[in-house]
Amino acid sequence: MGREQWRAALRNPVGAVAAGLLVLLAILAIVAPILWGDAAEETDPAALSQGSTSEHPLGTDALGRDILLRVLVATRYSLGLALLATAICVTAGVVLGVLPAVLGRRAGRLVTAAVNLAVAFPGLLLALFFAVIFGVGARGAVLAIALAGAPSFARLVQTNVAAVAGRDYVAAARVAGVGRFRLIARHLLPNIGEPLVVNATVMAGTALLSFAGLSFLGLGVQPPAYDWGRLLGEGLDRIYINPAAALAPGVAVVVAGLAFTLLGESIAQVVGVRAVRRRRAPETEPAMTAAAAEPDGDAVLAADDLRVAFPARDGGWTHPVDGVSLTVRRGETVGIVGESGSGKSLTALAVAQLAPDAAHVTAGRLEVAGVAPLGRTGAEVRDLLGTRVAMVFQDPMTSFNPSMRVGRQLAEVTRVHERQGKRAALARAVDRLRTVRVPAPERRAHQYPHEFSGGMRQRAMIAMGLMSTPELIIADEPTTALDVTVQRQVLRLLKDVQAETGAAVVLISHDIAVVAQLCERVVVMYAGRVVEELPVGRLGAAAHPYTRALLASVPDLATDRDRPLATIAGRPPDPADRPEGCAFAPRCDFADDACRVRPGLSAVAPDQRAACWHPRSRPLDLTLDAVTGGQA
Amino acid sequence: MRELSFEGTTVRFGTGRSALTAVDGVDLVVPQGQVVGLVGESGSGKSTLAKAAVGLVPTTGGEIRLDGAPLRTGRDRRRLQLVFQDPHASLDPRMTIGESISEALPGRRRRSARAAEVARLLELVGLDPARAKSLPSGMSGGQRQRVALARALAAEPEVVLADEITSALDVSVQGSVLNLVRDLQRELGLTMLFISHNLSVVRYVSDVIAVMYLGRIVEAGPADAVLSAPRHPYTRTLLDAAPAFGVALDDPVPADDQRLDTEAPSPHDPPPGCRFHRRCPIGPLTRPERTICAETDPQSGAADRPHRAACHFAAEILEVPAP
Amino acid sequence: MTAPVAAPPAPTRTRVSAWAGNPWAGFLFRRLGRLLVSLAVLVTLAFGMIHLIPGDPVRAALGVTAPPDLVDARREALGLNDPLGTQFVNYVRALFSGDLGVSMTSGVPVSDTIGQRLPATASLAIVAFVVVMLAAIPLGLAMAVLTRGGRRRGAELGFTSTSAVVAAIPEFLLAVGLVFVFGVSLGWLPVAGRGGGSSYVLPVLALSLGPALLMARIVRVEALAVMDEDFVRTARAKRLPPLRVYVRHVFPNALTSTLTIGGLLLSGMIVGTVLVENVFAWPGMGMTIVSSILAKDYPVVQGIVLVYGAAVLLVNLVVDVLLAVADPRSTIREG
Repeated sequence: MGREQWRAALRNPVGAVAAGLLVLLAILAIVAPILWGDAAEETDPAALSQGSTSEHPLGTDALGRDILLRVLVATRYSLGLALLATAICVTAGVVLGVLPAVLGRRAGRLVTAAVNLAVAFPGLLLALFFAVIFGVGARGAVLAIALAGAPSFARLVQTNVAAVAGRDYVAAARVAGVGRFRLIARHLLPNIGEPLVVNATVMAGTALLSFAGLSFLGLGVQPPAYDWGRLLGEGLDRIYINPAAALAPGVAVVVAGLAFTLLGESIAQVVGVRAVRRRRAPETEPAMTAAAAEPDGDAVLAADDLRVAFPARDGGWTHPVDGVSLTVRRGETVGIVGESGSGKSLTALAVAQLAPDAAHVTAGRLEVAGVAPLGRTGAEVRDLLGTRVAMVFQDPMTSFNPSMRVGRQLAEVTRVHERQGKRAALARAVDRLRTVRVPAPERRAHQYPHEFSGGMRQRAMIAMGLMSTPELIIADEPTTALDVTVQRQVLRLLKDVQAETGAAVVLISHDIAVVAQLCERVVVMYAGRVVEELPVGRLGAAAHPYTRALLASVPDLATDRDRPLATIAGRPPDPADRPEGCAFAPRCDFADDACRVRPGLSAVAPDQRAACWHPRSRPLDLTLDAVTGGQA
Repeated sequence: MRELSFEGTTVRFGTGRSALTAVDGVDLVVPQGQVVGLVGESGSGKSTLAKAAVGLVPTTGGEIRLDGAPLRTGRDRRRLQLVFQDPHASLDPRMTIGESISEALPGRRRRSARAAEVARLLELVGLDPARAKSLPSGMSGGQRQRVALARALAAEPEVVLADEITSALDVSVQGSVLNLVRDLQRELGLTMLFISHNLSVVRYVSDVIAVMYLGRIVEAGPADAVLSAPRHPYTRTLLDAAPAFGVALDDPVPADDQRLDTEAPSPHDPPPGCRFHRRCPIGPLTRPERTICAETDPQSGAADRPHRAACHFAAEILEVPAP
Repeated sequence: MTAPVAAPPAPTRTRVSAWAGNPWAGFLFRRLGRLLVSLAVLVTLAFGMIHLIPGDPVRAALGVTAPPDLVDARREALGLNDPLGTQFVNYVRALFSGDLGVSMTSGVPVSDTIGQRLPATASLAIVAFVVVMLAAIPLGLAMAVLTRGGRRRGAELGFTSTSAVVAAIPEFLLAVGLVFVFGVSLGWLPVAGRGGGSSYVLPVLALSLGPALLMARIVRVEALAVMDEDFVRTARAKRLPPLRVYVRHVFPNALTSTLTIGGLLLSGMIVGTVLVENVFAWPGMGMTIVSSILAKDYPVVQGIVLVYGAAVLLVNLVVDVLLAVADPRSTIREG
């Protein structure tokens, strides 16, 4: 972990307090025995087992020794033993954890099995077991605690090593001929360092507390030596006479233990992902595209200047969707095309009122299936939208609840929205599965999602949208996770469904060829904005340089193999760091000073609008015949 | 650069119910200085074949040879280099790209010689040599994939295997990586096995195309011949399914036949006879007289058929029936 | 394109193929096999414990002043003079007939001592476990729902920091604190011994507070992770009422880890009774094992370690079976 992250861990108030406490304890551990070591041993026959007095603020023990001084002096021994145990434990754990990666497959498996068996037993049981073997006393307790903690630390190392060892860069290093030990030293250990540091810190806290436990039971430090646990055990016998004698060492143990644990946790928090903070809503600039979409009474989706904002690291907001205007008429199929980061999926989620919690959605106007959802409560949106908008998501593997039968997941829609009985709802689910050509739908309805193949699951997802009659089906990369042959089937199914139900379909894809196959109209998005919208038949006459480059850079089965592919220099801008004006300008061959001002969508032909100051008019010479031949 | 050949290569995973033959007796030659494109859907075993070649998964049968000599030791395998699919996962986030490339350089060299070689390689893949000191985190997917290519070349391989190297990239950068692959191959005369699920991508870079289905090569031949006159109905299905401008979804292709099984068979339990017969547009589900497909594995006579097609009816050119 | 990574097959796989017809039979067969192996290891370790101790355990137990012939007679009586193999066979044979040996100090059969002490420990652990589950799951789920998507930062911070602090305090220190507050200062509740219901309050509280908060934290984190899953978005896309989303879609999928952690906590609590019993002078096995370790009464220690270990292994078995039942993907059943 970098210096930055350590600093960030300390900036966290909990982390700062914990680190401060640890520094204090360290100073105490060094100084206390020097200053008060002798005084803490001094017996005072005149003050045996006293309560709090001015001379002895926390009272005295049975031999008349000052408890406050003894607690302070015990810091060194308590911390020292705990750290020693931690060091042994971490070393043993790392060795045991890395061993399977070094040893052959069989020996490695044996080590893993032994560790797994040992981990099943609670640390205290192991510690008691080892305490019996190593004998009662400080040395025995150190070994017992170290060895008792080693299995779980080893397991932690093993899981982390296994995770890293499964990564491609380790495979790549192996393919490049990097040796086993160098692999561990250069690739495995550095990449598991963070969780190990965090857990070693937490482990130190645990060791401290366990040590106190063993000493408290009388199995740890033996008199005349003393640590906090020992003092606590002695104090507990007289808790009615002098509670401070038990509470003071107890507090010391808790504070020290917590300091380690909390420091570890705050490091872990910094290393991990930081939770998103909710902030005041962003201020929206007025719409730049003045009269974007003409009001259309026939629209099933009308969005004007739609923006989706997320809180940014620096305290501001980023706008992955930055002023999108979109109209979809009843029964129309519209494709939204864009690369990752273009905001196309988020646009769809925002329209369907499914944007993530942290997102802030605004729009000049938003109407979905005749409902204006913005500003309404969740319950109202659920009631009004109900089943009018159906969603099909990208990954059919993860989009079904794995612990619920497919039929019930479909039937749920009808049961909730139409208050139908179980049986009727299930019958409809089976019927809809049949509609989407899932074979043996009665049997399939009783299966769990993992028993479906990817293509079948995507069919079932479409069937779920058909449980009532949707006016709009939004399919977000519905075929990206599927094979081409299955992709064709799913696209054909969407087309059939669209033809039968008359629902409008919005197909979101990174693949302009897929969109061209299914849709009548294409909306091209780049960096959170719509850069061009045009009928599919006019793709050969695309006006925006980005649309043209997209078309030219993707090889298809007719691409000339003797010529290099057209390429687009650079990469899409980060949403947090978009250029002023036209976002595509830095990658555009035709950009000039005019492009420093953001272009609005304007008509370049009937039904075709582009957001570009220099729209191209020359027809594209890619596989142009195919484009116009098929669709014009 | 030499010739890489797979002879009856087989890879099995697990035992009992979960047993899976990911690669099943694959015969394939990657001739010197040529690019063989290997295409197939997920689960067909094409990546496993590449991993078996470089020793990342053990083979359970057959032989993998380089210029006729079987690959056995790690040193042998190092003469093959694999470029992985996801450039975000294939570079160690804690190593500078220079270190990553340098690590793959064979033999002992002086530090300055290593640095010079790293700089040369970076230049070769179109990156500024000054970036050798930067970490991969600041680079785009396309740039990382260039680094991964440079690392593979650093090992001075006889054969380069590229496993879906453009699938994780944005469409707008995919083209430039494909151009680079083509240029490098022509410049250095690389022998390459280029794996992708995307037939259009494979077509663009390959001299020879091999099609894999459920662990087997079902058709292999010169790229133009395979694409213009496919002999295996699965190749034809792939060609028909590739989204292309001007081909409407409504235009029926043979594989759209409603009588065919819509579900891909499980690799744990491949169908008897021809593995493709339940999805085959010219198989027993559309032509009931063709019972041979469900009974006899067409793999045996493949070597004698055109394109070494694993199809009993490879002699017949597939035609689209009139709607 | 993902080829399955060559997963190391479980050693018992080849035999399992015979059970291929029924995944449940295969799973139970394998799981019971694992239990037997674990038990064998446990028994071996408990047996080996007495031999791993440096020096002569009998001499250590009887003290340096004990006459040599007494030591030798005791060694003979314990069978320590036999060859190791014979001793092991005898030990295992005795175990099967329920004979755990005889205490070196009191001469009472170990099985009698355990039979007498076990109910006190078991009742404490079980009551505490029930309290943990009843308190932690609703609390964790409620906190997850309240703080989802970065809502209510204050409540989240309060909950996470309080639970982190309290869960980090070991049960015996909590016990001391409870004794001070409710026993010494307020005098409301008994602080020692096992009697009526009121005597359970403080030990159970001491034993269950930390685990309950830990569990609630984990339930919350798991539920939040499930809420980020694609299928919860699907459920929202179906416009289901939030309660239904949580109950039907979120909770069942957070169950797996809840069960796993629950099992670990129960194991920990069974052994955690050792410390709590010593604070509250609770007449269970924990008091006995500590005094036996101090008195070097090894047969008693052996016996109690066996009982604790076997209890832990049983808990693990039950958890694994529950997981296999709860998880339709049956990844556990597949091995």
